[in-house]
Amino acid sequence: MSTVGAPPPGPAAPAAAAPAAAGTARSRRGTWLLVGAGLVVAVAVAVVVAGGPRSSERLDPDNPDRDGAQALARVLDGEGVDVVVARGADELDATPVDAGTTVLLTRPDLLGRESAERLVAHAGDAQLVVAGARPGALAVLGVETGSSSLPPGFATEAACTLPDLAERLDGLRLDVDDAVGHDLPGCFAAPSLTAAGSTTGTVLSRARPGLLLLGAADLLANDRLLRADHAAIALRLLGGGDRLVWYVPSAADLGAEDGVALSALLPRWVVPALVLAVLALGALMLWRGRRLGPLATEPLPVVVRASETVHSRGRLYRRSGDRAHAAHALREATRSALARRLRVGAAPGGVPPEELVRAVARATGHGEDDVATLVGSDAPDPTTDHDLIALAAALAALEEEVRRA
Amino acid sequence: MVVTGRVPLLLLLGLVPVVLRPLPSTPWLWLLLVVAACGADALLAAPPRALEVVRGPVPGVRLGTPGRSELVVHNTTRRRLRGLVRDAWVPSAGAHDNRHPVRVAPGDRPLLRTPLLPRRRGDLRAVGVTVRSLGPLGLAGRQRTLLVPGTLRSLPPFASRRHLPSRLARLRELDGRAAVRVRGQGTEFDSLREYVRGDDVRAIDWRASSRSRHVVVRTWQPERHRRVVLVLDTSRTSAGRVGDVPRLDPAMDAALLLGALATRAGDRVDLVAGDRRVRTRLRTHGAPDLVARLQDALADLEPVLAEADWPGLVGAVAALGRQRALVVLLTPVEPTAVEAGLLPALPALTRHHRVVVASVRDPALEELVAGRGTLEEVYDAAAAARASARRERTIALLRALGVDVVDAEPDRLAPALADHYLSLKARGLL
Repeated sequence: MSTVGAPPPGPAAPAAAAPAAAGTARSRRGTWLLVGAGLVVAVAVAVVVAGGPRSSERLDPDNPDRDGAQALARVLDGEGVDVVVARGADELDATPVDAGTTVLLTRPDLLGRESAERLVAHAGDAQLVVAGARPGALAVLGVETGSSSLPPGFATEAACTLPDLAERLDGLRLDVDDAVGHDLPGCFAAPSLTAAGSTTGTVLSRARPGLLLLGAADLLANDRLLRADHAAIALRLLGGGDRLVWYVPSAADLGAEDGVALSALLPRWVVPALVLAVLALGALMLWRGRRLGPLATEPLPVVVRASETVHSRGRLYRRSGDRAHAAHALREATRSALARRLRVGAAPGGVPPEELVRAVARATGHGEDDVATLVGSDAPDPTTDHDLIALAAALAALEEEVRRA
Repeated sequence: MVVTGRVPLLLLLGLVPVVLRPLPSTPWLWLLLVVAACGADALLAAPPRALEVVRGPVPGVRLGTPGRSELVVHNTTRRRLRGLVRDAWVPSAGAHDNRHPVRVAPGDRPLLRTPLLPRRRGDLRAVGVTVRSLGPLGLAGRQRTLLVPGTLRSLPPFASRRHLPSRLARLRELDGRAAVRVRGQGTEFDSLREYVRGDDVRAIDWRASSRSRHVVVRTWQPERHRRVVLVLDTSRTSAGRVGDVPRLDPAMDAALLLGALATRAGDRVDLVAGDRRVRTRLRTHGAPDLVARLQDALADLEPVLAEADWPGLVGAVAALGRQRALVVLLTPVEPTAVEAGLLPALPALTRHHRVVVASVRDPALEELVAGRGTLEEVYDAAAAARASARRERTIALLRALGVDVVDAEPDRLAPALADHYLSLKARGLL
């Protein structure tokens, strides 16, 4: 990997036909180096410019988007409130909370049973504000109340039934698209959709001392904060103490028992039916698995190919590379076949090779020397495998020629 | 205890109570119910142990031809038997359709017929009769395998039988019963009869004619009442597979054809088969059913992986009689086996008898010699050429000892041996 001294490739380098292959390869490598270096720089710049944590979660104190809540966090910070963001139950436990602290929870849907208990225990006598709690979150927080969605485009003034809230909020106006009312005492009373005529639903309600439920979490969002008197509501609600702990629960804190069991969603007979199906499967295996009597076995004779020894001997010749021996055997076979064919000599084994060569040359018209190098007694042995194959083919061709002649 | 396919279905029927009473205990209660029903059903089934199963005699058949086996199932119980009876045979007996659904009333004894189609030569055994007796509900039952011995004798197929008619025609020509008469060596005087036109004038017996009013000719017939001894080698060299069958099978085929031919020619045929020891010895005294007896004697012979004890076999041949005979040794010409085993024992035979060696040649050897394509084929060709040359030398050696060698490929051996026999007979060399 020596890239030292590689010339920096010009922009026209890839387009121009490279004069030499080596030059092309080097300039290509240089291009890749340049691209990689550019990427690294771009990432570094992005990290530096981005500056700190950034989130895209809804109502997150670090989210500057439309549905984030960074604006509120900055405003509270500017007003002299010490805003501490605690992500996850462990961070919350590590954050000190006292009576002058307000704890804000903006994503109650991420709260599990265990983390809710930890939150309530940790909050102690601090003011806990839960924004946008759905019935599931209310259940884990231990609040038993009816709640209902309010009509879109809900707008009203704070008419609080609780004196301490009334002095802070009375006269402020709320205007949100999406809100939930609780059947609890509080502010921003709304006509309930469920029971005709009953106006018990409140958007900001006190579930128990120290726990406020904010049914209109949207008023904290960046793009809603300037609508109506939202900013004032948020500041008076959350800026009451000198510290605000903004708790963002983490999904990692959810315990195993926090999920909904599948069994709760299924009809009750499904599990017994599955048990029954397994039993039926077992019976099926018993039925199919029982053989009608033992297997019929048969003593089989040992059968070997009659030509097995010949094959083994051929393999042996090949492994030892005994070309001379193989050539000798093939020549011998050809000689006896030719002698039989041409009726030379009394016995096939006892033909003088010279006589046979003469007879073959006469029969085929080849030169005696050519025939002698093929089947003669002192014909040369093949030196390579290729020679051996060529010799075998030539012997076969000679036999064929004599047969035709 | 066995269960049927109704049990899983009955268990699945338990879905109804499970839906009606969706409690965890319901499937188990249902299972208990089903198990109780199965147990009661099995208890009520006819006990298979109390059945009397008897197998009728199994007639032997030639290899590849259909046979059958019959079972009589006697229900000695007081319950009705319903279920399955399986008559199991070794796979090569080809017992298809051997599962018989039965319904036997108490005291009844139905006949169950199992078709057989043997695919191997020899004695093929029945391995047991399994009775599965089901209860009245058809849910469960009892099963037991009873030992009912039986053996199907699968005879050698005698495929060369088709060559017999043409060889018998040749034999009739020799015999004088056909138009052509041959006189000379190898014939013996048969009778005197009146001359008819067309007779060879050289056949006129002048001395007899002088005492008669007509011209009389002598007729001749080939010599009869000779002995043929077939010696079948079942040693390791016969175990080698040529084509799809061991060498022993074509040798048997040749023995059968020669036996059939020699019997028709009026000769007596004896058989000795063996390897390390004599396995079969058969003396026929011109019995007309010789082929059937030969087939029966050969049926159960299998090649064994042992060297042939030729002195022992030669002794067995000598024990059959001292009369001069044509001794046909059905053994492959394997150079090492022949030179080490057969050659030392041969003189004892050739001294008294005319000896023919009938050998199954392996066509694969010639194919190997012709292979020239790849290096592997060339080396194989060299090995095969060497093996062929050794075989040729061994055959030449045997011929030098006065032994005739018939060396042919499996399907040609039987007719070649028959032709050789006929030529010997025509030349009176028996």
